[in-house]
Amino acid sequence: MDLLEYRATRTKTVGEALEQHGIDRRDFLKLCAAMATLLALPASAAEQLAVALAKARRPSVIWLSFQECTGCTESLTRSHSPSLESLIFDMISLDYHHTLQAASGEAAEAAREAAMKENAGKYLVAVDGSVPMGNPGYSTIAGVANIDVLRETAKDAAAILAVGTCAAYGGLPAAQPNPTGAVAISELIKDKPVVNIPGCPPIPTVITGVIAHYLAFGALPELDALGRPKAFYGETIHDRCYRRPFYDQGKFAETFDDEGARRGWCLFKLGCKGPVTYNACATMKWNGGVSFPIQSGHGCIGCSEPNFWDAGGFYEALSMPAHPLKVGAAAAAAGVAAGAAVTFFNRKKKGAAKAGHETTTLEDLER
Amino acid sequence: MSASLDKGVRVLKEMIDAPIASYFSSCVHCGICAEACLFYTETGDPKYTPIHKLEPMRRIYQQEYTLLGRLAKMVGLSKSVTDEELAEWQELVYNSCTLCGRCSAVCPVGNDIVYMVRKMREGMSAAGHAPEGIKGAVTRTINIGSPMGVKLPAVKAQMKHIEADTGIAIPLDQEGVEYMVTLSSMEIINFPEYLGAIAKVMRHVGRTWTLSSEAFEATNAGMQIGNSDLARVIVSRVVAGAEKLKVKTVISPECGHAYTALRWEGANLIGRPFTFKVQHIVETLEEFRAAGLLKLEGMETDRLSFHDPCQLARRGGVIQPQRNLMKMVAKDFVEMPDAGYMNWCCGGGGGASSIEEGEELRLEAFKRKKRQLDAVKPDRLVTACANCRIVLEEGLEHYKMNLPVVGLTETIAEHIPDPE
Repeated sequence: MDLLEYRATRTKTVGEALEQHGIDRRDFLKLCAAMATLLALPASAAEQLAVALAKARRPSVIWLSFQECTGCTESLTRSHSPSLESLIFDMISLDYHHTLQAASGEAAEAAREAAMKENAGKYLVAVDGSVPMGNPGYSTIAGVANIDVLRETAKDAAAILAVGTCAAYGGLPAAQPNPTGAVAISELIKDKPVVNIPGCPPIPTVITGVIAHYLAFGALPELDALGRPKAFYGETIHDRCYRRPFYDQGKFAETFDDEGARRGWCLFKLGCKGPVTYNACATMKWNGGVSFPIQSGHGCIGCSEPNFWDAGGFYEALSMPAHPLKVGAAAAAAGVAAGAAVTFFNRKKKGAAKAGHETTTLEDLER
Repeated sequence: MSASLDKGVRVLKEMIDAPIASYFSSCVHCGICAEACLFYTETGDPKYTPIHKLEPMRRIYQQEYTLLGRLAKMVGLSKSVTDEELAEWQELVYNSCTLCGRCSAVCPVGNDIVYMVRKMREGMSAAGHAPEGIKGAVTRTINIGSPMGVKLPAVKAQMKHIEADTGIAIPLDQEGVEYMVTLSSMEIINFPEYLGAIAKVMRHVGRTWTLSSEAFEATNAGMQIGNSDLARVIVSRVVAGAEKLKVKTVISPECGHAYTALRWEGANLIGRPFTFKVQHIVETLEEFRAAGLLKLEGMETDRLSFHDPCQLARRGGVIQPQRNLMKMVAKDFVEMPDAGYMNWCCGGGGGASSIEEGEELRLEAFKRKKRQLDAVKPDRLVTACANCRIVLEEGLEHYKMNLPVVGLTETIAEHIPDPE
């Protein structure tokens, strides 16, 4: 693709791009209806979506990868084969992405700069990975520290999408003892809207869903207190889990190979973090709706929650304390000592009462 | 002649153990135990709230074993337990408590209230505040051998009658057999059909058994009055008898508290494990049924219901066996509301039936059982406790209800075919 052709594709509307890829209007309307459902919008929104999407210019998206494992990108591409997500791919102009772009070296950086210049104030920045603030040298791109690339790219962006738990909350790099001083994107960018799409990795449909919403309505979806789209992170895994009735009946698998496990009972006692994890896995599922961890017999590990690496073992039930006696150990020790003193005194008293026991005979029942 | 307040208080201090300390400090004063107690539900009098029956013991716990309680006692904010108080509590701890354990079953913080009542009785009896009726029963058990004053000749006389009726020899003092059968004196005097039924069942299933001339009585009034020293003397007789005859299993009769005394308290009382197994007769019958040894014929066609004895079902955990057995012989078996684990007491357990002055209250409390029965209107009521049976019969007669009460063992035995 020469530069001319490249620019031509970028200026196309979504409708034109889809047409070029042989997607007819019927398929397009189906996509819009599916998208409206996905975003928990009323049915009437499908038509609005269709009208808006067809006219929308494909926005430029710059994808930055910092301290990450590329799992989030893998997740995004896994949704690529013939599904809604592949269509969405035609709706954006992905102008910069380490893993996916053909260009390298200076050409790659030039593409990013060109996209920023042409779409100033309108492009989206997707970030996966956290930023090392302890020592910027831990992660650089073309010799430039992550924090500098982020600040430069975010300056003229319309919004930032923090994709994955690392970008949203610091994730694995920020787990104790956090050697690189990793921080979340929302702690660094304060003057632009930041949408957190946590998960390790996030559900692909959730990533694309947020982009589609922005495309159709020109605004970001409604967010919760942790900056997550309410449409996908509004409820816990536990509340929508198909094993929930077993929890309510008190039927639990005690080990991974007992009768309860075979019968598909609740995995709470095996450490399932579903009750405290807000995500859409139980409803949207993975791999095109095939399954999700609990359906495969393993508890939820809570990967989309803040600090999940430090929130106790994966196989410890939520009812177990994550850090027993860590805080207030001194107070506990003092309490134990006081308790021991009282116990000693009470035992002495009870011992005396016991030693004074006179075996009762029939006569002793009378006064 | 040494019972006194001092002694009572000392015994209560001795009785307050770790579970009781945690129960008293866990109580949230919710009052749910009141609704579980038939003496409260049928009278509406809040003094019958189970945890309130332990008030003197709770005060001793606070004043002796807690810092604030000690301080309060020191500055006169908390008064010591008096003799008058204990006298007043006698009615609450004995007459209005059958040790049925429904309160323990509903307590939201898991307090075993009936365990505490049992311990409270230790102090009450040491202080001389036990009812005359139970004192009499204990005295007769210790001196004569049974709470009703039954001696071996009476047992032998009944054995003869039964041998004549059934044509089956009743073995006495046979060494090395499988089962030693024990009786409650009520079965000897009022319901001798029980012994006949046992003889038929044992012949039918081909198991060896015996009675013991030293240990025929299974009931334990020492446990009911709440005195472990006396309860130990009584339970030791059964242990000595069973070990002398070298039996494998001792069968506790159709009696609730005899089962608790032998099965749950017995080994703790004598301070060592038994050399034999203890089963309630219902458990023995269930074993025979499960092994396919009971080949019964015919079915009862009238409407039958089952009254679960508290000590067997709630405190002993034996609930399904009696139902399995009932279904072998009953075409029309109906369950009363709350049957099984939460069944309501007959009103006379835990020694209450031997308290003469408690009769009026007992009959008042029986209204609960009456309502349960009225809900399903059985033609006959089956149970597995001779004491329940007597108390039920008294209540039914008082309320002019025409409802025969029968024992489970004899009901099963009636369906055993005659040998060829």
